[in-house]
Amino acid sequence: MTLPTAHQSLLSTEGIAKSYGSIVALRSVDISVASGEIHALLGANGAGKSTLVKILSGVFDSDAGSMTISGSAVNLKGPGDATDAGIATVFQDPALIPDLSLDQNLTISGLRHSDVAPWLERMQLAELDFGLLVRDIPLATLRLVDLARALAHDPQLLMLDEITAALTPEQTDRVFDVMREWKRMNRSVLFISHRLGEVLKICDVATILRNGRDVAHLDLTGVDEAELVTSMLGAELARESMSISRDAAPVQGAVTDTDNDVVLRVTDLQYRDKINGVSFELRRGEILGVTALEGQGQSELFSLLSGDHRPTSGEIEISGERLSARSPYDAIRKGLVLVPGNRHEALLPQRSIRENLATPLYNRIGRWFSLVGDESERVDSVVTRLDIDTRAASQVGRLSGGNQQKVTLGRWLVSDFEVLLCFDPTRGIDIQTKAQIYELLREIAAEGAAVLMYSSELREIPLVCDRVLVMYGGSIVHEQDAGTATEEVLLTAAHGLKSAQA
Amino acid sequence: MTAVNTTVEAKSAPTRSWRRWAQRHGWTVGIWMLLVFLVVWYSTLIPRFGGFQFSTIINGGTAWIFLAAAQAVVVIAGGLDLGVGGLLVLTSATAAQFMDGQPLAVAVVMAVVILIGSAILNGIVGWVVAVSKVPDIVVTLGSLYIYQGLALMMLPKVGGGSSDGFRWLFTGSATGIGTNPWPAVVMITVPIAVAAWWMGRTPSGLSLYAVGSDETAAFLSGVNAVRTKIVSYAVAGAFVAIAGFSTLAIAGVGNATTEGGTLTLNSVAAVVLGGVVLTGGAGSLVAVVPAALILFFFNPILSALGVNPNQAQVIQGVLLVFVMAIAGLIELRRRRRS
Repeated sequence: MTLPTAHQSLLSTEGIAKSYGSIVALRSVDISVASGEIHALLGANGAGKSTLVKILSGVFDSDAGSMTISGSAVNLKGPGDATDAGIATVFQDPALIPDLSLDQNLTISGLRHSDVAPWLERMQLAELDFGLLVRDIPLATLRLVDLARALAHDPQLLMLDEITAALTPEQTDRVFDVMREWKRMNRSVLFISHRLGEVLKICDVATILRNGRDVAHLDLTGVDEAELVTSMLGAELARESMSISRDAAPVQGAVTDTDNDVVLRVTDLQYRDKINGVSFELRRGEILGVTALEGQGQSELFSLLSGDHRPTSGEIEISGERLSARSPYDAIRKGLVLVPGNRHEALLPQRSIRENLATPLYNRIGRWFSLVGDESERVDSVVTRLDIDTRAASQVGRLSGGNQQKVTLGRWLVSDFEVLLCFDPTRGIDIQTKAQIYELLREIAAEGAAVLMYSSELREIPLVCDRVLVMYGGSIVHEQDAGTATEEVLLTAAHGLKSAQA
Repeated sequence: MTAVNTTVEAKSAPTRSWRRWAQRHGWTVGIWMLLVFLVVWYSTLIPRFGGFQFSTIINGGTAWIFLAAAQAVVVIAGGLDLGVGGLLVLTSATAAQFMDGQPLAVAVVMAVVILIGSAILNGIVGWVVAVSKVPDIVVTLGSLYIYQGLALMMLPKVGGGSSDGFRWLFTGSATGIGTNPWPAVVMITVPIAVAAWWMGRTPSGLSLYAVGSDETAAFLSGVNAVRTKIVSYAVAGAFVAIAGFSTLAIAGVGNATTEGGTLTLNSVAAVVLGGVVLTGGAGSLVAVVPAALILFFFNPILSALGVNPNQAQVIQGVLLVFVMAIAGLIELRRRRRS
């Protein structure tokens, strides 16, 4: 429970508290980050990590508590103050202006291209075109630019909130290199990640938050993932979550080989230069996993299937009928529904949970004025089934990320569908909610629907899926039974390399 | 490596940068071309097209341009200012009250004082918008009425006037009617060019785009959103004052009974036609200038075509929606392709 005292404390807080209206985000947090350490901030979703980061970076004012940097008390009035005090942050939400070019974004932060260039070179982004508008740049690249911008301020403390969530393994390694260098310079990093493997690999110590309090301070040497999970969830929840496995999931639907059971058939799908001849079949009761590194055509595949874009050539057949969708509306009517990677694209943040869940019903003639009879009950039963935390029921935008994701999934449970398309449904979600979502997907499949799920987290493929496809460069390069898919095999295939097995 | 591949396409650098330039500035080029086309067409419609006709368009368009530029600055920063029309009436009435018959030097000092006062006044409106959380439409609808009322208090009856030298600055003639468009051209170009440079190149100017585009991201980047909003309304106030001076210089007398609301709506139309996104964050003053001139130009063209003035308004409305629908389609195609 005690921190190593060899190093001098760089940043420490005492009794930091913060509420949003009636919702308490932080009750009382004491955290102390020493010079020359990589400090993990851990906790389930809703534990208060992001709120704490925002207070430490001057974005929010705390309601109570104090904060000292290098021994002197500080009172941060805004992100600019934090930068001046030697704290630079890469936030979970991108802090780059979508309508401006990268160059203009740097100008706003008072930086020149030469300030970030050496760091971008380290991330192998030296050739990045700074005249591009931020909106036209992939998320992973933006995260690294955000990091380079933070580093250009030459901070004593670097705070990274879920930076690795969108990165490829190589990019993650480069971020780790920078973190180690910061440590060598006797500076500090506060690192937040849901990937415990990463945390154990790179971090020295950890502070664990639960329900807005710091419940444990750990030295991470010799600690394993199970112990971390125990601390994060509390003993009894941990047992539950560690036992997520194929056995605990409901019995899978009977997957047979008859052609009748094929509900989605994709034949030689092409889309510009992004997708080059993708073919696969999806059967009733099956969960088919798709995995790939960033930008290998997976997002295009999902947008074609959901009717958002039209393929250049090739066929999509749903229940034996050819899909020629002009918009998602057509795909939804055929029973092909999408849970998008970005929850905010799917939700009406200012409306209630019930309204959000009921949106697929609004299009039915005769339901324009109110929900009738059983529909209201269906919404209620979905709320119960998903175990959605309804404290902020009147505004979905105020729910935690995990609960928002449950709502995006739940709206399709309220309506009907043949095939559920899920794009990285557990990104940035805590373990407990992840487990609930896995279980839900297995139930959906067991009830006879089919699920196509993209996941960037290789470890969840064998937990949830029956089969897995690996995409690389716009094609499917590997297919296998998910139960036996190891991380190594999938990762090798995802890099476009032939593995011994394949 | 994968990330780099997705951003840097396999096209040669000059082609890429040219395409990007065309994509970013296509609207600006198009709207300037439309203006040139309309001027040429107009010149064939009327018996004689010379310096007089040209300066009539430029002089009359000056107020439209500055009013549209004022609106554009606020809209780019994510706001909307319905008060600009009222502020134009107020500034021109105030100028008429104090400038009448003064020598040029005194008139210029007056103009500077009124311009600063107008910026401060509208900056206060911006402060109320930024701090009160009352929607900008509501606050500026209030400011429209207030400005209009203040103008009537300042100048209850049509009257007052401008100084001859000051009239020359905006019209190229001491009587407001002449054949020399160049003073007005300079009076338009210099402030607009300075403002466009400021908005495109400096941290404080780019902050307007930042706040209009994504207020949260702007705040996280260290931009002071409240200050930026205030600045956008204040700059608008300064632009409106110039529009007010021009109006006075042409008319020669102050008139506080002009309907500010109509002027405001014209400014919104010009901003939209100028390709400024109404939700903020994108657009350029360089495209708003020709857009304002085109709108001003509709009436002379339609009357040269012999269209009944009552029908002219209908045609004007249909054309505005038509042009914007075309623009919407182009944008949709562009997005589908990228």
